Amino acid sequence: MDLGRTRPIWAFLTGPYALFLLVLLLVPFANIAMYSVHPYSPTKVFLPDLTFDNYLKIFDLYYVRLFGRTLRLGLITTAVCVVLGYPLSYWLARARPRWQAVGLFLLIMPLMVSAVIRIFGWIVILGRKGLVNQALVALGLEPVKLLYSETAVVIGLVNIFVPFMVLPIMASIERISPSLEEAAQNLGADWYRMFRRVILPLSLPGLISGCLLVYSLSISAFVTPALMGNPRERMAGQQIYDEVLVSFNWPGASSLSLALVLVTAALMFGALFATRYAGRREKPS
Amino acid sequence: MSAQSPRLLLPFVVTVYLGLLAPLVVVIAVSFGPSSAFEFPPRGVTLHWFEAFFASPAFVTAFFRVSLVVGLLAAALATVLGTSAALGLVRFRFFGREAVETFFLAPLLVPEILLGAALYLFYARLAIQASIWTLLCGHLVICTPYVIRSVTAGLVGLDPRLEEAAMSLGATRVQAFFKVTLPLLRSSLVSGAIFAFIISFSDINLALFLSGPQSTSLPVHIFSEIQWQGDPTIAAASSMQIVIIGLLILVVQRIFRLRLVV
Repeated sequence: MDLGRTRPIWAFLTGPYALFLLVLLLVPFANIAMYSVHPYSPTKVFLPDLTFDNYLKIFDLYYVRLFGRTLRLGLITTAVCVVLGYPLSYWLARARPRWQAVGLFLLIMPLMVSAVIRIFGWIVILGRKGLVNQALVALGLEPVKLLYSETAVVIGLVNIFVPFMVLPIMASIERISPSLEEAAQNLGADWYRMFRRVILPLSLPGLISGCLLVYSLSISAFVTPALMGNPRERMAGQQIYDEVLVSFNWPGASSLSLALVLVTAALMFGALFATRYAGRREKPS
Repeated sequence: MSAQSPRLLLPFVVTVYLGLLAPLVVVIAVSFGPSSAFEFPPRGVTLHWFEAFFASPAFVTAFFRVSLVVGLLAAALATVLGTSAALGLVRFRFFGREAVETFFLAPLLVPEILLGAALYLFYARLAIQASIWTLLCGHLVICTPYVIRSVTAGLVGLDPRLEEAAMSLGATRVQAFFKVTLPLLRSSLVSGAIFAFIISFSDINLALFLSGPQSTSLPVHIFSEIQWQGDPTIAAASSMQIVIIGLLILVVQRIFRLRLVV
């Protein structure tokens, strides 16, 4: 350790990745920020004039609707993830080690498989002749159009992002001593009362962090709405993709990206803060 | 699990897991089915779509020449970059250390689709053509934080006095690191490398922007095949990815704590 003071070894160790991130993370976003204040021209890649039109256009009806839809689907996805994820987190946190290992494997394995593959699976399940419609027909009902709708997008997003809800909640429930649960129950509280008065408040940082994570991931999703959504009702990620790769409106894409990245980065920092706060609070005990 | 927890919890948990795993089960089943129309449940078992996969130059290139190569290179380079960064962060105290730590995890806070767009526009401005190298650079940004996390977790559980003991017995700092610390870090290093590989291997959001016509990665190829209503060759390729990733996650769970990486 004493060597660290005389020679900055830490700088040699952290330097390469710091430099790498500088060139491939900070500079590209600075580049985007620069694009975003220059006007779009269908014929020239770059015009030197300064303008704020790219930001003003975000308030056009089309973009207001786009963002409204994106934020709304994000909220629905987050809410469904809480409902499905919270009980799972509780079960995982309190399961015996062996079952916890199995549960974690089954949670993280799908998370690591490419999103495009999981969405492909859902397309087969929800398709016109998919599993759900086969079941409906077998029951003597009319097949329904499930795919290419907002419902399909929410199903896909929930499936992909629910592990991001479960992992932080599970971590915060694990920090709550099971003896607290027993104490509450010995004092006469039934399970639900105990849950409401003990587990829920103490796991709040994990819940908040999970919600922020899922929300920021879903409002920046691309693959799910692109493959499962109605092409006429797009989400913000699709708009950015199209403006970069299809219509080549790079200044427009830049202002949209910057707006979205500011929102999501703020949410993510909130999640990080909630996790750290939880870590600090339990230390004294 | 306390005996008083609600009776409905377990059935609920099982249902959620069924939903979580359903798409993967369906994809694997379709890849073995005889029908070309994504039929589930399949009416028979055939390896036809796997043959079709190996007979398709586009799929073989995307799988073996792009995704596998980029994934392995990303894992190797991210392990070097991430291990050295983690060592610097854990073993040294310097001004601004917490800020550097946050900066190093920043790639996880930026939505991948936006990072992809930003990198695409950055490469475009520098007139750099898309290739497996542009893809690799992008993947290194998002893979390295996983190595940093895993190695940091390994280092925190390691007594620095072991290294000091080696040095007091005559080893140089470098020798002490390579003979004492590195072998003890083996499992967290391997876990970090595996996760770096998986993140690169299954990434689609960056690859959509950074893959060129000659460097289409497997997920991007699957994406466009789905859009053009391809046949169950997609499912065969997907099944292979699912099996590879499943096995790798099992390895991490065996040698290290899965949760310290994710």
